[in-house]
Amino acid sequence: MNRHTDTPAGTELLDLPMPEPRTCPFGPAPVYDRLRAEAPVTRVACPTGLTAWLVSRYADVRDVLGDAERFSSRPGQVVHLMAHADPERPIGEGEFTRMDGPEYQRFRRHMGPEISSPRRLAKLRPLVRAVVDERIGALAAAGPPADLYQDFAIPVTTASIGGLVGVPYADRDLFHTAASGVFSDVTDQVQLAAAVRPLQGYLFELVRRRRVEPEDDALSRMVARAPSAEPPFSDVELVAMSAVMLVAGFDSTATALAHGVLALLNDPGQWARLRDDPSLVPGTVEEMVRLFGGGAGIVREATVDTEIGGRPVAKGDYVILAIQSANHDPEAFPDPGRLDVARDTEGHLGFGHGTHQCFGQQTARLELTVALEALVRRVPSLRLAAPLADVPFKTGTSVVGPERVPVTWDEILPAEGEGP
Amino acid sequence: MRVRADTALCVSTGSCALTAPEVFDLGEDDGVVVVLVESPPDEQRETVGRAVRACPAGVLSLAP
Ligand code: HEM
Repeated sequence: MNRHTDTPAGTELLDLPMPEPRTCPFGPAPVYDRLRAEAPVTRVACPTGLTAWLVSRYADVRDVLGDAERFSSRPGQVVHLMAHADPERPIGEGEFTRMDGPEYQRFRRHMGPEISSPRRLAKLRPLVRAVVDERIGALAAAGPPADLYQDFAIPVTTASIGGLVGVPYADRDLFHTAASGVFSDVTDQVQLAAAVRPLQGYLFELVRRRRVEPEDDALSRMVARAPSAEPPFSDVELVAMSAVMLVAGFDSTATALAHGVLALLNDPGQWARLRDDPSLVPGTVEEMVRLFGGGAGIVREATVDTEIGGRPVAKGDYVILAIQSANHDPEAFPDPGRLDVARDTEGHLGFGHGTHQCFGQQTARLELTVALEALVRRVPSLRLAAPLADVPFKTGTSVVGPERVPVTWDEILPAEGEGP
Repeated sequence: MRVRADTALCVSTGSCALTAPEVFDLGEDDGVVVVLVESPPDEQRETVGRAVRACPAGVLSLAP
């Protein structure tokens, strides 16, 4: 395949640029700087065989994501990378991430009150705090060094989303296994079904149980509200919604946390700034999501003959929105590659934009904020235990980020309200 | 300043309610934005403006 981009935009078929953490651990593949300047809307061949338009500028990415009428989500978010994904397969019952319009809104509105309302989040905060404090306590008990990704970020986000939905921590393997199938780029349809089936069976049972004996969790309330929806939600749909929350809800956030802390510790001045002024934490969380969110890019399909950034795009064409490239567009964010804990990140696209914008964003923000606040307060001496060049990055998954974040420290302070 | 909400477009992200909780809420049963204060006082202009811009689905707008 021809890799040259120095001909007029879009006249050649480029291989889809993939993340290159070895050369660029905190940003998109370096070739995007050139694409944004010279070929902002260009034809690419994807590893799955799909041919699509790759869109790399902030303004264009935002326009496409913001217009669900011209650009449908029907193909599926990551069909450009996943062997098991087929953009033309029929939409399954409850597969709302590929729906548009009122049919789609029905799902978002059923889940919204459980995952995005200020009241719900206020109740979730103490749960997340307890989980974070417990995990930091476990790090203290085991002593340094540790892997901030597997020993901290994954357990914290797993317990948080499980607690929200109503799945006990002991049953986490079910959704961890499903997620490794869903987000792996080599799983085929058969393997995917095998990875997801045990979770679905478990959730069917749980839906039935919560209908008879409701508890104080999202699943019970979604089951209770299901008959009054228009039309009422089926058990298959309830299972689909809770499965998506669990599967999409832990590694996304854990990876953002691990990646973000890696970047902060790699830039000790920024870490010190945060430690000295924890009021910067919520802004830092946005900055982390701006830098790392959406690394795999997401796919849409044109519903009409139209154009993107002046380039004609035909009805039925696939379009890949390079979110991370958009968030590194100097037209939108000055000195975009720099991690700045005090940056104005308003309008970043790390959670996407438009009607399909991340539906877990408020819980992700909450978890990242609580975790980062606790780390800077309780483990101020936190630092990397290996050079950045030795930190391995995940391969073969659409959740782009470090595979391990080796850290060490001098002392861990007690949790608030805990004796020394 | 008057707040307008085209609720038909709402996708329940909660961003408005979390940015300006005095002015917006998220319906507990239907997951749709509720405008609590239609004409918020001028000193809330900045916060309300941010909440309006935070909506990914173009539900909210401000009229003078
Ligand atoms: C920092 C962490 C996270 C990042 C960076 C992130 C990023 C994204 C992005 C970029 C999209 C847009 C996809 C599109 O437009 O097609 C998205 C959608 C989605 N996210 Fe997240 N996400 C995160 C955390 C979460 C969590 C915690 C959950 C679940 C509780 C979640 C569940 C989803 C779901 C279900 C969708 C599809 C929404 C739809 O199509 O309606 N995400 N996310």
